[in-house]
Amino acid sequence: MKRPLARFVLLVLAWLPACFAIWYFSAPLLTLPIQWLSLIVAKIGFGDMIVDVEKAGSVLSFVTNLRPATATTFSGGRGAVIVDSSALVYTYGLPLFAALALAGTGLKRGARLAKVLAIGYLALLPFQTWGVFADALKQLAITMGPAISSQTGFSATQREVIVFAYQFGTLILPTVIPAIVWVLTHRAFLEQMSDQIAVRRGPSVDRLNR
Amino acid sequence: MIRFFILFLVIQAMLFGGELTAPAQQYFVVPWTNLLASASAALVKGFDPNVLVTGKVLQSTTNGFAVSIEAGCNGVEATIVLIAAMLSFPAPWKNKLIGLAVGILAVQGLNVVRIISLFYLGQWDYEVFEWAHLYVWQALIMLDVLIVWLLWVRTLPKSPGSGPRTPTPPSAAPAAA
Repeated sequence: MKRPLARFVLLVLAWLPACFAIWYFSAPLLTLPIQWLSLIVAKIGFGDMIVDVEKAGSVLSFVTNLRPATATTFSGGRGAVIVDSSALVYTYGLPLFAALALAGTGLKRGARLAKVLAIGYLALLPFQTWGVFADALKQLAITMGPAISSQTGFSATQREVIVFAYQFGTLILPTVIPAIVWVLTHRAFLEQMSDQIAVRRGPSVDRLNR
Repeated sequence: MIRFFILFLVIQAMLFGGELTAPAQQYFVVPWTNLLASASAALVKGFDPNVLVTGKVLQSTTNGFAVSIEAGCNGVEATIVLIAAMLSFPAPWKNKLIGLAVGILAVQGLNVVRIISLFYLGQWDYEVFEWAHLYVWQALIMLDVLIVWLLWVRTLPKSPGSGPRTPTPPSAAPAAA
């Protein structure tokens, strides 16, 4: 095959619009596990502050037991601070991964494609939850001001960690993790495209490609 | 392979953590972002004189629409990912340095295209601008990084004694690199 990389790039670009459309319209369903994971994280790590995680469409609402200040914006009317986080902002790596998988695997190998897509979807979920959750924490600890952040009990160091987690979860993870998962699930394809990758990776188990 | 991914994540986290520090922001990120805005404006002025640049803000003098180049839009994070990917991959230093020079140019070049396209998309339709800004261009920039890295890996010299395109036996030991 001539110019396999160019062909691959064109295929990715061709699949991207369709993948973005499917992702966007199915986001309310696709982001459901993020709500479940967020609930688990909230119960385990922040049970004294976050009492529930609700979902409307692809927006997750973190219901807290913090009292709103008069100078602070808050949604709801239930006498508690609720912060919203759009899961779309942290899940757009999924259509990128799907387009990469479709270009790398192809529709003809349907069973393997389905397997790869399922693995990618599941692998991305924890990192997408990271982004959404860090966004909520950042809003509570910093964005909403001292009247709210003082109730959270976070120390200065903890606030720094939250800021780092938020930035990392927003700027790095949404695109890097799909690329990593794609490389890991398409090593045989990469070998075909480049002798060098095969040379450098050394022997390994690659059951997916068999 | 495992060593590569661990190194990749560690270098990436370190560079990203360093980028967030006040000195890095003051002496590198802010000047770089301003330079990016000026370069984008200079290119735009080649076909559209109705553009003003103030710091990191690009503004249309026709309708007042402006874009501010913020974190995530200055290409620094994408560059960090590329640097981490090339530094952690086993290759001669000469290849790494050449790859980084060419790769950073490719990533930043596409990023200028992103900024200019967003500047005009925003003037045309704000909803399309938001979509392109938040989702599409982010994905395209990462695709660019991935392609640059794949191209770079292809240019690396072969290890002696290794055959090309050799399928890996499933019973083989885990990779060292």
